[in-house]
Amino acid sequence: MSSGKQFTLHGGVTGPNPLKVAVVLEELGLEYDVVNINIRAGEQKNPEYLKLNPNGRVPTLVDHSNGDFTIWESDAILLYLVERYDKEHKLSVADADEKFKLIQWLFFQASGQGPYFGQAVWFMRYHHERLPSAVERYHKEILRVLGVLETVLSKQEWLVGGKLTVADISFITYVLARAVWPERKHGTHRRCSWNQMAIGWGLEGVEGGDVQKEFPNVYKWHQKLVSRPIVRKFLDIQAEAFRKLSESQAK
Amino acid sequence: MPAGLLLYTTATPNGHKVTVFLEELKAAYGVEYDVEKIDISKNTQKEPWFIKLNPNGRIPVLVDRNRDNFVVFETAAILLYLQQFYDKDGKFGFDKEKDPNNYSELLQWIFFAHGGVGPMQGQSNHFHKYAPEDIPYAKKRYSEETKRLYGVLEIRLQDRDYLVGPGRGTYSIADINVIAWIRFHKIAGIESLDEWPRLKDWVERATSRPAFQEGVTIPK
Repeated sequence: MSSGKQFTLHGGVTGPNPLKVAVVLEELGLEYDVVNINIRAGEQKNPEYLKLNPNGRVPTLVDHSNGDFTIWESDAILLYLVERYDKEHKLSVADADEKFKLIQWLFFQASGQGPYFGQAVWFMRYHHERLPSAVERYHKEILRVLGVLETVLSKQEWLVGGKLTVADISFITYVLARAVWPERKHGTHRRCSWNQMAIGWGLEGVEGGDVQKEFPNVYKWHQKLVSRPIVRKFLDIQAEAFRKLSESQAK
Repeated sequence: MPAGLLLYTTATPNGHKVTVFLEELKAAYGVEYDVEKIDISKNTQKEPWFIKLNPNGRIPVLVDRNRDNFVVFETAAILLYLQQFYDKDGKFGFDKEKDPNNYSELLQWIFFAHGGVGPMQGQSNHFHKYAPEDIPYAKKRYSEETKRLYGVLEIRLQDRDYLVGPGRGTYSIADINVIAWIRFHKIAGIESLDEWPRLKDWVERATSRPAFQEGVTIPK
């Protein structure tokens, strides 16, 4: 089965968590094959996949140069990649204390941003009935988390070590898709456009939800991230995937 | 004479994760620590002085006065920090350089609990106990997801006594990190752990440790 590539990335590259891993693999110049997994068809719960990842979620990475070592949880994958393959600290830090700060921010992303933004998307986009108090709960939490990031980024350019690291990258895909495509208007295209994965859409009509105005430092930071060619490339792939999905659903 | 380690905390599953581990470190090595109780019903954790320590305004927060007042927030990051600097014989973790695969597995299970069990069980707690409105869908969504996560742990524990480590595994911060939450399953609408017998045994094994029993009573 081997194509000779060092890694296999299970889960495609378009979901918010797989995208992070694809970005870091490419930023570090590492080669990988992609195995797509159809989430809508529930393929991530197939017995074969569950053998790799008992949690049945994406992404999962297999390192063929390390005895097919298998690793899941996107931020654990990022840490694995920088520990083993980023000796020049292109996306990581060398100082022992700064490493803990990096871990700290990854945990904040993994527990404070990802799951809450995910619940927001569920109740706004996928759930069959509108439950106002649930939607409000998660909107409020998104605003709170953006506020936390704004507090920190108003005093420093990057989250850790005065430089770009995987800590910053881990936040991208859930943060500010609208910031990338500012020409999209509020209130348009409620159905199936790619940026509905992210809080930009999610804050449509929400008081305090104009990210550029209310959280200017978060906005600036995010712009720097999404203007990196590799990040840009994957966001375009993601946009295209959602566009195709929306077309097929419109039929 | 104050201890080097200072923990701002209160009696919640996240607070307990850290106090349990600190008690384990005390029992193993005599590590001392001070506790300052934070009253979250008064929102003390949102006051400016606390935000300076943790911009996320949540407990627990560790200040290490032995190391220039280095501050750590996010419970899993605190556990990893304490394990690195204070677990000198490596009883509760794995060496990143010498044992990188076990270290990575430790991280995977910690992230699984930190990003999965904590937030999802937390949402179940909210909708069962604290939400102003009764939303049956939300209660079911989060209690079902919590049960699914317990099921994943059950799979892992099929032929293991602990989550990580060679053979049947060794007791580590990965276990403490999630058991501190599982103890509160009833608030999340999960009446009993009988559905997951391996998990139930594992929880009993860990919580019968004297350090665990002491840790969950702190702060007094």
